[in-house]
Amino acid sequence: MTRRDFRIVPPKPQAEIDDELRFHLEERVQAYIASGMSPDDARKKALERLGDVASVRDECAALLTEDRRAEARRDWFGDLAQDLHFALRSAVRAPAFTLAAIVTLALGIGANAAVFGVVKSVLLDRLPYADAGRLMRIYCPYRTGFTERGALSAGTVSDIRERQHSFASLGAFLPQRDAIYASSDVPQVMKSMFIEPELLRTLGVTPARGRTFADDDGNRDTTTVVLISYGAWQRVFGDDANVVGKVIRLNSIPRTIIGVLPRDFLPPEGTPDFYLPLSIKPMMRDPISVRGSHNLGFVGRLKPGATVEGARHELARIGAELERLYAKDNLGIGLDGMSLRDAMVGDTRTPLLVLLASAGLVLLITCANLAGALVSRTISRRKEFAIRVALGAGRGRLVRQLLTESVLLALAGCIAGLALAMIGLGLLRGLALSSLPAYANLSLDRGAVFVTATLALITGLAFGAGPALSVGRADPQDTLREQTHGASESRRTRRARGVLVAGQIALCVSLLAGAGLLVRSLIAMTTAPLGFNPGKLLTFTVQLPNAKYGTVAARVQAYDELARRIRGLPGVAGAANVSQLPTTISNNNGLFIRDKPWAPNEPVPFILTSRVSDNLFATLGIPLDQGRTFTTADRDSAPPTIIINEAMAHRYWPNGNAVGAQIHIGPPDPTEPWITVVGVVGNVRNDPTHLTPEPTMYLSLRQSPSADAFVVRAAGSIDPLSLLTSVRRAISSFDPTIPVYKVATMESVLGDAFAPRRLPVVLMTAFGALALLLASVGVYAMFANMAAAREREFGVRVALGSSRGAIVRLVLRQGGGWMVLGLAVGAFGVMMAARLVRTQLFGVAPFDPLAIGGAVLALIACAGVALLVPVQRASRVDPITVLR
Amino acid sequence: MFAKESGLLQGTVELLILKALSWGPIHGYGIASWIESATDDVLSVEEGSLYPALYRMARKGWIKAQWGVTENNRRAKYYHLTAEGRRQFRDQTSGWQRFAGAVTQAITTRAIPSWAK
Repeated sequence: MTRRDFRIVPPKPQAEIDDELRFHLEERVQAYIASGMSPDDARKKALERLGDVASVRDECAALLTEDRRAEARRDWFGDLAQDLHFALRSAVRAPAFTLAAIVTLALGIGANAAVFGVVKSVLLDRLPYADAGRLMRIYCPYRTGFTERGALSAGTVSDIRERQHSFASLGAFLPQRDAIYASSDVPQVMKSMFIEPELLRTLGVTPARGRTFADDDGNRDTTTVVLISYGAWQRVFGDDANVVGKVIRLNSIPRTIIGVLPRDFLPPEGTPDFYLPLSIKPMMRDPISVRGSHNLGFVGRLKPGATVEGARHELARIGAELERLYAKDNLGIGLDGMSLRDAMVGDTRTPLLVLLASAGLVLLITCANLAGALVSRTISRRKEFAIRVALGAGRGRLVRQLLTESVLLALAGCIAGLALAMIGLGLLRGLALSSLPAYANLSLDRGAVFVTATLALITGLAFGAGPALSVGRADPQDTLREQTHGASESRRTRRARGVLVAGQIALCVSLLAGAGLLVRSLIAMTTAPLGFNPGKLLTFTVQLPNAKYGTVAARVQAYDELARRIRGLPGVAGAANVSQLPTTISNNNGLFIRDKPWAPNEPVPFILTSRVSDNLFATLGIPLDQGRTFTTADRDSAPPTIIINEAMAHRYWPNGNAVGAQIHIGPPDPTEPWITVVGVVGNVRNDPTHLTPEPTMYLSLRQSPSADAFVVRAAGSIDPLSLLTSVRRAISSFDPTIPVYKVATMESVLGDAFAPRRLPVVLMTAFGALALLLASVGVYAMFANMAAAREREFGVRVALGSSRGAIVRLVLRQGGGWMVLGLAVGAFGVMMAARLVRTQLFGVAPFDPLAIGGAVLALIACAGVALLVPVQRASRVDPITVLR
Repeated sequence: MFAKESGLLQGTVELLILKALSWGPIHGYGIASWIESATDDVLSVEEGSLYPALYRMARKGWIKAQWGVTENNRRAKYYHLTAEGRRQFRDQTSGWQRFAGAVTQAITTRAIPSWAK
């Protein structure tokens, strides 16, 4: 017992001083009276002797107050040290409980810190631009629903510039493309992007070194200046301080480096190494591509006072006007804008928020679990507390002690959790970077640590509060009188535990259902046939130098020869080439059908278009349904031909008469011949994450010779990647200046397509498993406590002739009720989870019985295992041992 | 005889309080009475100034206060020396003696300084 526990509350400083001075005066008066003075004189003399009483009082009161405060501070820290010391001792005394609590908390907090790190870096961190909130990305939405975020034509960019009043400046760019950088002798394939000089100004970015583009840099026929990214400066030029002014060869043309962009700079899309100046003037001179090729990205900075909504209205108005003026190219295409952040976050927002919600649920389960554990630990320590209260410890002091213990646990869990989060982010970096916006750097920054620490503290206080309050209510006399040997849980704590377990079950089943739905969706996506056989395929891309292969004939001859040489290699079962690999086609063209013109208000459909070699369908295993595939007869000089897929044939020629039909790509032009459909082939899903195949058309590379992507099928049991060496040798034996890059198996290309889908599924499944584990622990703890608390009672019952089965039923009835309640409440949670993940689902209904039933069964199975041990122990109660 | 606010007075009062308490715990009135009689009324300080000195010394940790009961059964605040207080008493006593001795020796000397010859 400490001195403080007996202390009487001291009087106010003022009163204490008054008492002291009054005593002094009275003693002095007595002394004067004793020496023969009259009481009045004695009183007067004594006051005189004392001097200025008022100022003495004030001075003493100030001194005493300060003294008291200093003492209180010393006591507070003293108590804290005592509490901490005690908390450590009791933590060490119950190592299993402590370890379990810290591990549970670490998992809950670690999951939250990791996910928050991701969410923050994607959704909250600032973009690498000045005043990024004022930036908007402008898109062309297609009324057909083909895309909401279509690119713009040069004509549209120019028209917006002339008509708009919302933006202070606007900058356009072309999508990033491959560029050959020839350093000493080895040509390297890198990324380049053409940007208008105005884009950098719009984004508010100035180079870290050198200068930015001048306005007329893009107007020359051949651009001779280039800006490089910070990354390229470090990787390729080794931090060379004199890099500005250096002349490099990019796509075989000498160009001067004029500047290095800042370290954190990224364009609105892509991650290029080189930036080249763009001017749309040459594009404006080309009558066909001015409005026909939609390939520009466009970013604007709002004028002061202009709003995103206002700008969107204006864009919609301009879009409608352009559609009217240039119906031939713009029919069905509008204009819209969104904040640049939303444009860059893209489709990752919903999965991230789903993950954040899941991690939050895990933390809730963690808290519920710990609160339950602390409640029962408090019950087992009731006697200890009762003794302390009886010996004079204040209730407030006990509550404080318990809160200190739980905050200490929470902090330990927090530190362990942050360590886990760091490991988790490391794993995520490998798993997820490709599926997150490029500006997101997955790190545990100060904000994430702060939020996590706050969470830990709130958790500590929250789950410390319940047990602390129950201690505050306990009556020490009753507790001490009670035979603690057989003390059972009070009705109230039993109910608290039950509610906590029910809550855990409800949260857990919601999380499991969400995870189950996502898993089912991913399985549906990955197992649904793609329309071709992706196994044992090696893919790579070549680049035929323009100088040498400038003509159609030269290119066709080169493709034929390359494919012929590769096919002749041992272990190769087939080889073909194509403009873009299946599932990655991004080229779309407007479709016009002869004798079936689109109605004036009917949008022109844009169809995926690929250019293929004669044997592509055979090599990939795409079946031919009608007509024929391409042959050497489909020459440049022959009438143009086209092959379409079933989805397209079915949509535009539902009567099955597609073969022989005549179409045009882009608006019909009297100087160009119609293209004849010669065959219908099986569907290939271009977006493997969607189950409906898109209409697709295939042109022959003989008539449209741009097909740099090769697919090589390995024979028998040969690993397709092992063919690479001989394939490279075959290509360089044909022409050593042809670079080979983007080497991958078709399966890994598909894996990349699934990566953004896989990430939330993997994480949510991990959270589901975590929640299942935690909930099982909670169920176990509830039954174990219940059984232990009623051990004596069960002993009596058995002694009185109750069967063991009846005891088991008793335990199950008591605990089972809470589990059923948890599942019932969980039904609402399942509905919420299904609604939350609905937009992420493909090929699965939001209330897929298999996923939801699976979740419930998994939970029941785990809970069943968890309650097996305590229930079994209850049934084996030996009446003699217990009652002795 | 000393200026009321001078540090000399304060230091002297503190030393006298330490001396008073060196006999054992006593209340403020007792300290005042003891100073009065021990100095033959030469140092009849304003008694009020005694109390701030007591509180200041308590803050410095030299003395401690505790409520107690007098022989006449009256509640009074008793002060006693702490270990630190006892150490202070020893140091200050010898310091005072050296100081007083030096001043006494200086003002009673009969040796005439060289500049007065």
